[in-house]
Amino acid sequence: MSSDKTGAVMVVGAGIAGIQASLDLAESGYYVYLVERSSAIGGTMPMLDKTFPTNDCSMCILSPKLVDAGRHRNIKVVTLAEVREVAGEAGDFSVTLGVQPRYVDPDKCKSCGECADACPQDVPDAYNQGLSERKAVFKLYAQAFPNAYTVDKENCLDCGACVDACQADAIDHGMEGETLRVQVGSIIMAPGFTAFDPKALEYYGYGRLPNVVTSLEFERILSASGPYAGHLKRPSDGREPQKIAWIQCVGSRNRRIEHGYCSSVCCMYAVKEAVIAKEHSAAGLDTTIFFMDMRTYGKGFEKYYNRARDENGVRFVRSRIYEVRPGAEDAERLLIRYGDEQGVLRYEEFDMVVLSVGMEPAADAVTLARKMGLPLNQYNFLEPAPLSGVATAKPGIYVAGAFAGPRDIPETVTQASAAVGESGLLLAEARGTMVSEREFPPERDVAGEQARIGVFVCNCGINIGSVVNVPEVVEYARKLPNVVLAEGNLYSCSQDSLVAMGEAIAANKLNRVVVASCSPRTHRPLFQETLREANLNPELFEMTNIRDQCSWVHQAEKVKATAKARDLVRMAVAKAALREPVRRVSVPVTKAALVVGGGVAGLTSALTLAGQGYQVHLVEKENSLGGLAMRFSEGLRGEDTGSCLREMIAGVESHPLITVYTGREIAGVAGYVGNVVTTLTDGREIRHGVTVLATGGEAYSPTEYLYGRDGRILTNLELDEKLAELAGAKTFVFIQCVGSREPGRPYCSRVCCSNSVKTALKLKKEDPGRQVFILYRDVRTYGILEELYEEARRSGVIFVRYDVDDKPVVSLEDGRLKVTVTEPVLGDRLVIDADILSLAAAIKPAAANTRLSQLFKVPLNEDGFFLEAHLKLRPVDFASDGVFMAGVAHAPKNLEENIAQAKAAAGRACTILAKDRLESHGVVAVVDPAKCAACLTCVRLCPYNAPRIADYAATIEAVLCQGCGTCAGECPNKAITLQSYNDKTFVASVDGLFTEVS
Amino acid sequence: MIVAEQKPLAEIAGMIGDCRKVLFAGCAGCVTVCLSGGEKETEVMATALRMKRQLEGNPLETVTYTATRQCDPEYVDAMADVVKGVDAVVSLACGVGPQYLAARYPDLWVIPAQNTTFAGGSKEHGVWEEFCGLCGQCVLHLTGGICPVIRCSKSILNGPCGGSQYGKCEIGKDVECAWHLIYERLKRLDRLDLMRQYREPKDWSKARDGGPRKVTREDVMIG
Amino acid sequence: MEEFEPKIVAFCCHFCAYSAADLAGSMRLQYAPNIRIVEMPCSGTIDHRVLLKALEDGADGVFVAGCMEGDCHFLKGNYRAKRRVSHVKDLLRAIGLEPERLEMYNLSAAMGPRFAEIANEMTARVKGLGPSPFRKQTGGDA
Repeated sequence: MSSDKTGAVMVVGAGIAGIQASLDLAESGYYVYLVERSSAIGGTMPMLDKTFPTNDCSMCILSPKLVDAGRHRNIKVVTLAEVREVAGEAGDFSVTLGVQPRYVDPDKCKSCGECADACPQDVPDAYNQGLSERKAVFKLYAQAFPNAYTVDKENCLDCGACVDACQADAIDHGMEGETLRVQVGSIIMAPGFTAFDPKALEYYGYGRLPNVVTSLEFERILSASGPYAGHLKRPSDGREPQKIAWIQCVGSRNRRIEHGYCSSVCCMYAVKEAVIAKEHSAAGLDTTIFFMDMRTYGKGFEKYYNRARDENGVRFVRSRIYEVRPGAEDAERLLIRYGDEQGVLRYEEFDMVVLSVGMEPAADAVTLARKMGLPLNQYNFLEPAPLSGVATAKPGIYVAGAFAGPRDIPETVTQASAAVGESGLLLAEARGTMVSEREFPPERDVAGEQARIGVFVCNCGINIGSVVNVPEVVEYARKLPNVVLAEGNLYSCSQDSLVAMGEAIAANKLNRVVVASCSPRTHRPLFQETLREANLNPELFEMTNIRDQCSWVHQAEKVKATAKARDLVRMAVAKAALREPVRRVSVPVTKAALVVGGGVAGLTSALTLAGQGYQVHLVEKENSLGGLAMRFSEGLRGEDTGSCLREMIAGVESHPLITVYTGREIAGVAGYVGNVVTTLTDGREIRHGVTVLATGGEAYSPTEYLYGRDGRILTNLELDEKLAELAGAKTFVFIQCVGSREPGRPYCSRVCCSNSVKTALKLKKEDPGRQVFILYRDVRTYGILEELYEEARRSGVIFVRYDVDDKPVVSLEDGRLKVTVTEPVLGDRLVIDADILSLAAAIKPAAANTRLSQLFKVPLNEDGFFLEAHLKLRPVDFASDGVFMAGVAHAPKNLEENIAQAKAAAGRACTILAKDRLESHGVVAVVDPAKCAACLTCVRLCPYNAPRIADYAATIEAVLCQGCGTCAGECPNKAITLQSYNDKTFVASVDGLFTEVS
Repeated sequence: MIVAEQKPLAEIAGMIGDCRKVLFAGCAGCVTVCLSGGEKETEVMATALRMKRQLEGNPLETVTYTATRQCDPEYVDAMADVVKGVDAVVSLACGVGPQYLAARYPDLWVIPAQNTTFAGGSKEHGVWEEFCGLCGQCVLHLTGGICPVIRCSKSILNGPCGGSQYGKCEIGKDVECAWHLIYERLKRLDRLDLMRQYREPKDWSKARDGGPRKVTREDVMIG
Repeated sequence: MEEFEPKIVAFCCHFCAYSAADLAGSMRLQYAPNIRIVEMPCSGTIDHRVLLKALEDGADGVFVAGCMEGDCHFLKGNYRAKRRVSHVKDLLRAIGLEPERLEMYNLSAAMGPRFAEIANEMTARVKGLGPSPFRKQTGGDA
């Protein structure tokens, strides 16, 4: 197929946005250049200790993605690189990259760290926020990819000690930088953010007072791999703090320093840090968060906040901070001078103060954007074009992540997938033109052969060899059962060793291979490739770790380390003998999508998928398309939503690949990813490979505040519709959180604050003489929307905070509509004679969700919204492959966010639709139907819906199985085994350990 | 399914105290489904008891085998080889299994590993409830699909007793009153007339009261 | 007499515990050389039988290490592992072997120091208990 477009994409920035975008692109058939300015991919996320709201370990959830992106055949990671020039246009850009020399050959580097041990030069470790030191030759962090060291030339003494120390000859101080030119069809800008430097705000004492730290520093302090190994200590004297304060909005919501936006993430991370810090402290840590508005607006956030306050005992103080200064008696302590909500001046001492610093665009990203001619907003964020989610002013260039405006990880990941969805619209015709797949020779059938095992023991330079007596281990391995060959290697992973290994396999007719070296996490795929090249199935391989888990951790106990290495090899050999070939199962993919829901999210997903050439079936239960957004007069920032929607509907209705089924619902679902047959209520059957659930939400009909009793009491949605008729009304009152953040509906509906503020502003603009009151609990105008709040206050909208225990009272007296509220600053009752009362009513999940969750076997959360596979890193996926969610079906969100998520769902769906066949994930669980009692244990246990009962026995869909083996562990008749990891192999391994060989 | 519960390990150990070699026989039928006597449980029990005996200085040799079912002669016949040379067989089947083994292998010492509890089904994974009283004369069509014989604590056949309160049985507040359930269901089905019908006395001779029972089906018998 | 050097089998899930053990290596944390790690995709793979068999074979201690609760890469596997370990501990009690020889741990991939700590903790615990009564007479190497 010829195309004028280039089937490659450049992703600028390798944080979580860049990594997610790259993986989605590569899986959708595009070649990716992932360009990163530092020496490793990962961005900010590896620095974080835990992530909210699940308290997941950040590194745990990220590292599999690091490995996937790092190893992906169709992702070229270019580190230490900057974009110098971009020429051309959408579909065909030429990009010039300047690449700094690493001075270490990443192919040769074994990441052993001998160079750093030899290096005499200490440098503050920026990864640990300067709280510890590293050497001038360093690796950014332990799990970094590329898994190689880098010379920091700026701090290098050029003494040559590292060169002498390196056994692998990987270091070359003569390396020179290079210029790369690449052709790409589109560009995704994901350069991330930098944390605000609070030195500029002197009154916080940062930089002067050592126990005032930033939140990012605090993340490193909490991290087990951080400067204090996870022990809670304060920097000045290493003592464990008893009392810590967090100060919110440092560098955010501050117009004086031109940071008039909310950084969106700080409330949640501060709550999380307080909760986690308490877990780290044996003595019962005292934690206080000083804040203006608690902005816990995301999915699951409000509950997290409530739990922190009510169960974990985190104290929240609504306040203004004036100053942090040394304690009155103990100068190591810190005195905070602040004004409380009533304006009363207060003082309180703490052992440590954490500044919740905001996000700002990175300087080099700003420079690059300017160079590329991309207009930035007043804070230098590259805000997406209105109602596009990801588009910039230039076609073919998209934005994702915090550079688009402050946002948390799930929104960043969502936007990354959305950029991929959008990019696909441009490049669909060039899909698959630049990617390649590696071809391997046919596999030799080893069935029925006696095991012939080859054992390769690595010295890893001196990393293993200087502790473990490798020759002794090799000699020992030769005596083990089934071993026909055992050899030592200087580096088993070096190119010559791999070639020799391949030759040895052929020459000795080896049918199993054991490598004793470093971690299978990093090196197993490499050795497995060698097996495949030597005509062996990759699962005939067994690896044992005698470096990271032996020589490195028993450096002073050489004899015992050698004994342990012998044991490990013996275990591996015993297990290897039982290894069997595993053939991946594949199924064909029906290249069509089912989209459930014809609102903004469903329409957007449908258009994004159809625009890439896939058949789309759009099902809407109402008789017309458009959903709830049809009732909006405009977007939060004045966007013309009406014409946008009309355009979308027209686009969907006229698209040759989209079939619309209105007035119908889903009646039945059969099949699984790649091949689903869905039946509609009219009996029609639809065949599709993927499903997007975009069921939207419903407006809550208030039971409070006399709603329904008087025509002047409206919901925000009704007010928006009636606005034109209300020209004469003078006094407007908005009440926030109606039906949200309540015991029965404990979540925040997210959009109501911005929505009320927007309408209030509009009312004021129409007639400045109007009185507009907003009665709120916390104003949650996050991100750039903070500007609306700022503007509303300036234009005279009156904000009155009310307490959840002292809600406003609405009464009708003699035809007058009265709203009474306690004004917290004065403590007085404020009585407002309102012409119009508008209730910011909650957004409810669609009633249809419950039934759909049963039909598609996907979970709902406690609130009735769909529950994603992972709150942080898989925000649009379900745990069961091939089903995605978009829009309010996932959680309340505004139109812009709906659109982004809908494009993301389409982007993710394309990773399946782009493939002709779907392959199983390597090792999977298999059922012996003869032994199966159809007891349902596996069916009930599996989170991925892989097992089902068919013909009176369980069967596991290989393409759905993720290979965890939980079913195998539980199966009461041992009818299920996990390939490569079954009980027999575990028992063999343990038996091997306790069977001495003389 | 038949639901059975394993006897405590110590009790089983006591029953095989003087044996040197024991066969542990699982059953891939009901007891596998109620997670008490499939291959997994059989091997776990054999290993645990073997370890116990090792610790006591009185080693035990174990053999494990899981029959497709222990309630059909052919499957029990197939165990002829594995029972050879064992001093006893511990059957993890329901109460039927040990008896089939005993009948087929007259010289074999047979030990039950289970307390066979009831005929029932699973409520959720890991929880089973009793549903059928095996009375031999089913009345479910008259009682809205709810068995009074087994689900009423007193097996009353014609309406609730005075101990029914707020839908619960007097024996415990977690026990539903079967007759309350029957009433609600018949009401829902608009068949409360069934409650008013006079019933013939139940023929309890068809239940256990008539001695051991036997079911014969001429039409499927072979030869 | 030579000091008793226990052999402890550690069933570690690939995503967290095994990674933490690797990290302990990267950090060059020195810990007792008595742990023999068996890698598994998820702690949920572990079967009661395998745990018992390891102890019967002569392991002086056995532990299963999975992800932090709520963090399982495969969503729920570590909870299943926890229940199984607890059940096997009951069996050990019933047969008269110290249940302390078996343990379940949860740790994240970032917790290299914790892995080293667990290794030392478990080694010290098992040393306190003495050699496994199932231990075959072998050379005293660890």
